[in-house]
Amino acid sequence: MYNYNIFNENWLRNMNTDNNLGMNNVVETKLFYPTEAYNSGNLYSNLYSQYKNYKPAVLTARNEKEQLLLELSRLSFAAHELNLYLDLYPNDETMLALFNDYRSETNALIKQYEGKYGPLSISGNGLENTPFSWQKTTWPWEDRYYV
Amino acid sequence: MFSYNKRLQYPIDIKKKDLRMAKYLVTQYGGSNGELGAALRYLNQRYTMPDNRGKALLTDIGTEELAHVEMISTMIYQLMKDATLEEIREAGLDTNYVEHRRALFPTNANGVPFTVAYFATTGDPLADISEDMAAEQKARAVYENLIDLTSDPDVIGPLLWLRQREIVHFNRFKELFEYYEKKLRNGEITLERIENNINNLNNINSNSLYDLRKNNRM
Repeated sequence: MYNYNIFNENWLRNMNTDNNLGMNNVVETKLFYPTEAYNSGNLYSNLYSQYKNYKPAVLTARNEKEQLLLELSRLSFAAHELNLYLDLYPNDETMLALFNDYRSETNALIKQYEGKYGPLSISGNGLENTPFSWQKTTWPWEDRYYV
Repeated sequence: MFSYNKRLQYPIDIKKKDLRMAKYLVTQYGGSNGELGAALRYLNQRYTMPDNRGKALLTDIGTEELAHVEMISTMIYQLMKDATLEEIREAGLDTNYVEHRRALFPTNANGVPFTVAYFATTGDPLADISEDMAAEQKARAVYENLIDLTSDPDVIGPLLWLRQREIVHFNRFKELFEYYEKKLRNGEITLERIENNINNLNNINSNSLYDLRKNNRM
């Protein structure tokens, strides 16, 4: 269960970014791809710090629903990491462009997920029909998404 | 305002009941270095940050910490799910059961309830951000202690992940601290609070020197 398994997913196909993004003399940093970043809990490989000999868990999905949720969680996490960075370096164009890529991909995946499996937020999609699906779908602490 | 997303920031799926681990883990819910304290500290400090960098970072990290409160709560809930009274007694959670049955209640690992004293807000941006940097390091250390206390990969995975978040947040706070320190030194921003403090401090020192001389004590 605890092995790296990265760079092999076809949803990364559209990522036209290099894994070694220069930071335009703002901060010298290197970025993980979203999958590795999400597994590790850290988008910035220069900040990554391993504890003892523990490796991050490799998250995998058992079905299409889990896969979609996993993918949107990865992209949303990468966007969030860039959000924190951009709070401090609001003029970094490279990072802003990457943030917007991840953000729009996240939003597209959320829309796709909500259309199939119900709303992730109360302003989201999939709330048209009774029974009220916000209340009906499983709560996150009860749901066992992953193996 | 805040709105809720009906998903965890990182998945939790604990299959094995472990009440002792639940007892330890509750410290990252209601302990002095826990996620609840972090969330409320940052969201409370943001109002008196001197510029938009600080306001944005504290808002966004504070909001993320709320997602970590949910992760820790989920872990405690899943670790305790379907526990019998006998198991609760054996793990020493019977003292929690008396008041709270199987409900979550924010305390540290010794049962000391959460207190707003953990907010540790001074209104001085440099002092507050130093507090936040220390808080992230302390939480990292606690996560390492917790990892040492379990062998369940379903528990270790999320703890490693949360530990890594402390490291990222620490570095962001450190960058903000250095930025404000430099701006202040160069006179590019004025931190009214800090200037007042320095003036007050000078007054206090000269007054007390005067008093001491007057009384021939030096």
